[in-house]
Amino acid sequence: MSITLEQVTKHYGGHAVVNDVSLEIGDGEFFVLLGPSGSGKSTLLRAIAGLIGVDHGTIAMHGRDVTRLAARKRGVGLVFQNYALFRHMTVADNIEFALRVRHVRGRLRRERRRELLRLVALEGMDDRFPAQLSGGQQQRVAVARALAHKPEVLLLDEPFGALDARIREELRRTIREVQRELGITTVLVTHDQEEAFAMADRIGIMNLGRLLEVGVPAELYSHPATRFVATFLGDANLILARRAADGVHVGAATLAAGEAAAAAREQEVVAVVRPEDVEVAASRAELGARFVAQGTVDELTFTGALERMRIELENGAALLAGADNGAIPHLQVTRTQHEQRGFVVHPGQSIAVGIRRMHVLPTPLSSFTACAADEAQAEALARAPLLTELAARMKTRIATRAEPQLGAGAPAAVRTAFVGATVLASGPQAARRAAWLLEAGAGEVLVLPAAAGTPQHVLVLPLDEAVRSATLAVAASVLRHVPAEAQYLREAHAGQSGGELAQQLARALAAVPEPMLILGITGLEGFAERCGALLEGGRWPVLIVYRPAGRTPA
Amino acid sequence: MSFRKPSVLPGFGLTFGFTTFFLSVMVLLPLAALVLAAASMHWSEFLRVVSSPRALGSFRLSFGASALAASINAVFGFILAWTLVRYEFPGRKLVDALIDMPFALPTAVSGIALTTVFARHGWIGRYLEPLGIEVAYTWLGVTLALTLISMPFAVRSLQPALLEVQRELEEAAETLGAGRFYTFRRIILPTVLPSLLTGFTLCFARAVGEYGSVIFISGNLPMKTEITPLLIVIHLEQFDYRGAAALGVVMLLLSFVVLFTLNLLQAWGRRRQLRAAH
Repeated sequence: MSITLEQVTKHYGGHAVVNDVSLEIGDGEFFVLLGPSGSGKSTLLRAIAGLIGVDHGTIAMHGRDVTRLAARKRGVGLVFQNYALFRHMTVADNIEFALRVRHVRGRLRRERRRELLRLVALEGMDDRFPAQLSGGQQQRVAVARALAHKPEVLLLDEPFGALDARIREELRRTIREVQRELGITTVLVTHDQEEAFAMADRIGIMNLGRLLEVGVPAELYSHPATRFVATFLGDANLILARRAADGVHVGAATLAAGEAAAAAREQEVVAVVRPEDVEVAASRAELGARFVAQGTVDELTFTGALERMRIELENGAALLAGADNGAIPHLQVTRTQHEQRGFVVHPGQSIAVGIRRMHVLPTPLSSFTACAADEAQAEALARAPLLTELAARMKTRIATRAEPQLGAGAPAAVRTAFVGATVLASGPQAARRAAWLLEAGAGEVLVLPAAAGTPQHVLVLPLDEAVRSATLAVAASVLRHVPAEAQYLREAHAGQSGGELAQQLARALAAVPEPMLILGITGLEGFAERCGALLEGGRWPVLIVYRPAGRTPA
Repeated sequence: MSFRKPSVLPGFGLTFGFTTFFLSVMVLLPLAALVLAAASMHWSEFLRVVSSPRALGSFRLSFGASALAASINAVFGFILAWTLVRYEFPGRKLVDALIDMPFALPTAVSGIALTTVFARHGWIGRYLEPLGIEVAYTWLGVTLALTLISMPFAVRSLQPALLEVQRELEEAAETLGAGRFYTFRRIILPTVLPSLLTGFTLCFARAVGEYGSVIFISGNLPMKTEITPLLIVIHLEQFDYRGAAALGVVMLLLSFVVLFTLNLLQAWGRRRQLRAAH
């Protein structure tokens, strides 16, 4: 492995900018770190270059630990967005800088310079000053300069950010050619997914300081594992579907569950449907794909090769995830010229909508349902700041549900199953109500104090080995969406009796600012005694993951 | 070469006329009067006055101490400016404002303050004396006073230039294998050199003309701690107006030569930068 990162973490002002990143980059690989601005990708690149130290974790290059090694001894070449050329030096002096530092003889320096200028197609520009060159040419000089000392790793920090589209394309090709010719391990940082697709052997996607997914471009596009990656890599419709024994139900259609195993228990899942995987036709009979729902064309945009459409689905509110403050989400569709000619549509037209292909995300948190004894309380709960923030970050919706019997006696058979995470207000009866919901079939219950803010620390504790993987999966899902630090508590707590456990957890929660607790349990005996103090104090949000023995794990 | 250059602002004739008039009245006319006054002397008398050991001593001290003060400020002013530009620390704004204090203070006050601190029984002077270092009433004191009053020029000239040196330039040099000193010498210094020269020139010019702060701390021993401006005042007090003018003319010439040389250097540096920027 050329570069190996292990649990790299970097804080700025108490905030983890790079959070627990582990990654391996192979010899000669072109790796792209992709993410929105502020996702920590540039910080990670600088850490690899050695320009900033890390607070935790190790960085190794070619098997050698370089975590504490100064940048100048790491043997890397770095290219900046704004070129960072030495303006008082000629192109030749810029390129030879690294060689002069190393006291390389004049003749060898000139040879190397000529070779590099040929490589970046700038022959004969030796005596120009940077200001006499165009942006694209300056960046070529910067690439040549970064390669002069034959580094083992080339790092590029948004190298095309300051260039216009045509030059960008050209320089992209040059860099890819240079990289292939030299076989040098390269890491490029960008926020542009098209650029990432065009250049990468593999892409790593970062958000909120975490490295979410790593994979080859086509695989990440067709089989993302997270909502963020699905929506960041191109457009995506996030659909709330139901997975049952016979497949995945989307509206009127039942599609094959695909690679994800069918669940014994009916369960809500999040599915990704790319805009190009939606088919529209005049009627249900004319659809080639499975019919999902009837819809109305809301908006039509011509963009050249593709036509973009926004469709209002008849049952869109139930089907589509995405909580845009109550606005009904639309289905995004793109059609090729060929499809457009086959069936011309107009805004306002009623059409049949089918789905050719979809991909079910393995995420355990699909949507939220605010639950209270009556509708008014449920609606008030649905407006809680932390809940709306979580839902917005997860691009999912918050439903409401009134359960008049909530917490009273044993739950009778409930009318409809609980799906997604059920949210409950923190308060005096919270423990009894949570137990009631869990018994009634809710898999995840979030007990929410009204004033809870965005968590900064997430404490995770599975109380039983059997619920460990489910708890960690839920925790990972939460941590992907909030910039918090995870703290995994030891299962030694599990054996403790009722009050002791609550006391210890309360101490752990009180020790950190803005904590949230994710607790995995397998049984409900003594639940109220064990956790009552945590749920009823109204101080901390607690997410309970319940996987009773006997119930098939998801 | 044309005199008139097209400009967005009208009234070149008027402004150029005003500039010439203003410079003439404020700068050239008094200088001409000075030269005229000296010209009424006989040549041998002029030479006698300006080459007397006392006069030569004062020239040496005035220009030597000024050059030293400007050099000190070039180094420490650089560090000050660097700290203010590069680091965020509590009280940065306050320090930034303090830099301008020597501008605002009447120079006599600076002189008295320095004397109080550095005199034999002063706050610092009493600890320096056992070490055999005497500041007040020696050339050291003169240099100290000149350094203090000219310091703002160095810092204020360098600050904007240092803002221009992006941190990325240093990072680039570092990844290319350069150590700190190499980066400073080959990247930072060449970039700020023109501003450093400007700062040095301004400091020097200010120091040569300084009078108020020096006379308190120097002790004014003829040949040893007597600066030329003071010698001129002494001549004036003895109603030797022509002698004073003669010394003034020499000072004027020497200052002009030094400043002109520094300006040439700066122009050369700017041309180099301009070449790099086009």
